[in-house]
Amino acid sequence: MTRSLSFHARLSCILAAFLLVVIATLYFSVRLVTEAAVTDQAADRLESGLRVFERLLDMRGRQLRDGVQVLAADFGFKDAVASGDTLTLQSAMANQAARINASEAMLLDLNGKVLASSLSNTRPGDTFRYADKLQEARQQGLTMLVVSLDRQAHLMVESEVRAPLPIARVVMGFAMDRALADELKQLTGLDVSFLAREGESKGELVTTLGPGTRDELIDGWSRHDHANGIEVLSLGGERYLNEDIVLSKGTSFSVIALVHSSLDKALAGFHQVDSRVLLIAVVGLIASLVGALLLARSLSEPVNALARAAERVGRGDYQTPIELDRGDELGSLATALNQMQRGIAEREQLIAHNMLHDDVTGLPNRSLVAELLANAIEAGRTTAVLHIGIGNLAGVQDSGGSEGVDQALRELAQRLQASLQPGDHLARILTDEFLLIVSDTSADNAFSAAVAVQQALALPVRVAELEMRIEAHIGVAGYPDDAGNVDELLRRARIAMQDAAQMPDGLQLYQHGRDDAHQRQITLIRDLRRAAQVGGLHLHFQPKVDLEHGRVYQAEALLRWNHPLYGMVSPGEFIPLAERTGSIQLLTTWVIEAVLRQLHLWNGRGLYMEVSLNISAEDLTSLTLEQRVGELLQRYVIPGGQLVFEITESAMMRDPERALTMLHRLRTLGIRLSVDDFGTGYSSLAQLRRMPVQELKIDQSFIRELDDTCSDAVIVRSTIDMSHALGLKVVAEGVEHGETRDLLRAWGCDTLQGYFFSRPLPADAFEAWLKQQPHLTARPIKEHS
Amino acid sequence: MFKGVVRSSCFLLCALVAPLQAHSFSVRVVDAKGQPVVGAVLSLAGQAHSKPADVAVMDQVGMQFQPAVLAVATGTAVSFPNSDDIRHQVYSFSPAKRFELRLYEGTPSEPVTFDKPGVAVVGCNIHDWMLGYVYITEDPRFGVSDSQGRIELSAPAGQYPSTLWHPALVDMQPMDAGTLLLGAEPVELTLPVAITDPLQPSAPAPSPFADAFRKAARDAQP
Repeated sequence: MTRSLSFHARLSCILAAFLLVVIATLYFSVRLVTEAAVTDQAADRLESGLRVFERLLDMRGRQLRDGVQVLAADFGFKDAVASGDTLTLQSAMANQAARINASEAMLLDLNGKVLASSLSNTRPGDTFRYADKLQEARQQGLTMLVVSLDRQAHLMVESEVRAPLPIARVVMGFAMDRALADELKQLTGLDVSFLAREGESKGELVTTLGPGTRDELIDGWSRHDHANGIEVLSLGGERYLNEDIVLSKGTSFSVIALVHSSLDKALAGFHQVDSRVLLIAVVGLIASLVGALLLARSLSEPVNALARAAERVGRGDYQTPIELDRGDELGSLATALNQMQRGIAEREQLIAHNMLHDDVTGLPNRSLVAELLANAIEAGRTTAVLHIGIGNLAGVQDSGGSEGVDQALRELAQRLQASLQPGDHLARILTDEFLLIVSDTSADNAFSAAVAVQQALALPVRVAELEMRIEAHIGVAGYPDDAGNVDELLRRARIAMQDAAQMPDGLQLYQHGRDDAHQRQITLIRDLRRAAQVGGLHLHFQPKVDLEHGRVYQAEALLRWNHPLYGMVSPGEFIPLAERTGSIQLLTTWVIEAVLRQLHLWNGRGLYMEVSLNISAEDLTSLTLEQRVGELLQRYVIPGGQLVFEITESAMMRDPERALTMLHRLRTLGIRLSVDDFGTGYSSLAQLRRMPVQELKIDQSFIRELDDTCSDAVIVRSTIDMSHALGLKVVAEGVEHGETRDLLRAWGCDTLQGYFFSRPLPADAFEAWLKQQPHLTARPIKEHS
Repeated sequence: MFKGVVRSSCFLLCALVAPLQAHSFSVRVVDAKGQPVVGAVLSLAGQAHSKPADVAVMDQVGMQFQPAVLAVATGTAVSFPNSDDIRHQVYSFSPAKRFELRLYEGTPSEPVTFDKPGVAVVGCNIHDWMLGYVYITEDPRFGVSDSQGRIELSAPAGQYPSTLWHPALVDMQPMDAGTLLLGAEPVELTLPVAITDPLQPSAPAPSPFADAFRKAARDAQP
């Protein structure tokens, strides 16, 4: 929301700023243009006003001149002048002056000397200071002359008095006073000022402007006496456009007329326009702002809607379509989002399917079937699970490659699916394992289904032009009879399947307890790896009795494991597990070291023993066995001849070449070698001949129930004979009866071992047993050759 | 008609007198530039041998005084007849003779007697440009130069102190022209000023008003 708001605001701001600039520019342009136009107009007015002013002044001059001429032409006046009748002519001049509103009048002789004057400071006989200028002006044809009298501007005109030749000059003046200025102002519409200067004085001003402007005007114009053209000047706080005209200029005086046009007043008329433009600008700006906000909202609302829709999609809601009925780009975006939503939904469905299904056969996978089972179990429904293992996929792989395997699996999956009943589920959980869930059926009742499935799978499969027969074994387990939860049910079905693999018909119902054995195995396998370190392993020794000397100087070391949970575990159980899971070498190493440690003890106490121990096929093929043993022999200072390695026939025969090499190496350490469990394998004595073995140990299965008549006796006897013929010593284990001992002694067997003499005993008990057998007293002898 | 009779009788009188007592001499007057001067008055001092003429005439013709310069002996009465069909009001404020003849037509009732020597500048109160000079002298013999600058004088041969006057002279004062020897030699006098203006200002050009008036008057006649 914050983002969209800021976008909203940003867009509004940008639009508003843009409009503000445009409107401000417009406003100020209008102002500038208006002001320029007004100024121009005022200047024009000033110009035309000035022309009117000049005309008016000229007219006033003409009037005055005409008045003077009338007086000068008056016969009576001429008479008075000619006769020097001063009183008469004074009265005549006063009369005429009053008639034409002249402010002063005087009579000059032809040389400019005053004959009569209304001016108080001018006496008859004086020369009138402007007499020459007046004459000059008249001769130049000028109507009048502007002069400064007593620092006031005056219009002056003169006329000759002719009788008929000139005899005198009549001069009349007209004060350019406030009244004239007002009159001119009225006629021109402009403010008018007259500035008269004499000598160095600042000059006197007559103006229609307010009194506050007097000093500014005098200061502004007293410094120069020529026309400046149009100037803008602030007078009395108001801006004026001013133009001046020099009315007259002499050596000691000048008269300047000024016309003023108030710019502010001229602009005042436009201030209304101005404020209207401002109003329009402000209204326009507000309207534009509102428009911009609406526009921004019209943009941000659908964007928000799209954002909400995207959020919805993010949450996994693919069903709600995005409703944005617009024809513009946002509409296109909404359509695209809708398409994307559908696309995501489809792909997610596909991914979900792939997650719960096998990609080769398209069948549900373990996760899905586990969920189905969980549902069924939760609902308390009786359910049977058929765990189907395919036995010979490796063969299919060899013939048809991976593609052939997939083809075969698809074929099998189709057959399995064809056998499904409504409510049943089929899943492929591993490469060669399928699960069939049969609903509302107990394991027993599902057995017939297992049979049908096996029959269906038994039909040959065609792979790469070859017809192959598939071996399937099926384990069946059921809820609630065999298991209480999904994991248990699946595990037990699998155990049943593994059991089925051992069955001739390849079918097996889950047997109660199988799972416990299985669990025990798993625990043992796990703990075997740590047994050598954490303890729990120890050795028992079973004496081997030398018949020739009637002495015991040999024993077999047998490994015992006291498991913390299961107690004593028989070697028959854990040795195969160790062999299967690769732990056997650890155990063998432990046994070798333990034996050597014991021998070291016994040797130290003067008890000479030769101890045999079992070496597995894995030990034999390990490249480091000889090295390890060599190091241990050195560490415990034990001669190799005190060790006998018992190796089964099958271990030797698994990889005869490597075994042979290793056996030869062990021989170089002085270790004697014994063939263990002889008779259980398929090896021949001829093969044994190649091996560097010194002893042969007949398996106890031949010895335990030995009597003179049974077929085993022949085997035992001939084995003993042949062994002796090959130079091998013969050991018989499993001797439990005196008769057996006697028979074997009679047949020439070299050494006996069995319960008849002693069961395997811990080291101290073994020592104690040795002491209790005086006739079998073991004593130190030289190494047996 | 009457005027013409008066003038011719005057000439006749002169012509009758001259052969008896005197010879006729001609004097020429030129200005500083040698141009002939019109309207110059030359007077010769001497005993008056004859009674001056009783009446002199300064006529007004075409809104000009005719002659422009009239020389008269002191005490001569001058008549100012009006030959125009409009009225004139002849006046002079000159100290030599102040007079005023009210608006009149034809010959005014009284001639004006100029009884003091000097110059009377004569004007018309209606027509400002009209200008005439009456030169009043005590001398018995005098004459006014014509357009050729010639002055015809009738006097016995001999030497005569003379006075010359012209309106252009400074302050219009007559000047001493020395003693003239009137005999066989022609005499030429030089005025010490250059004459630039005509003797009389010319009448202003007829204005449209005047024409209009004149036309209206003519049309009005049957």
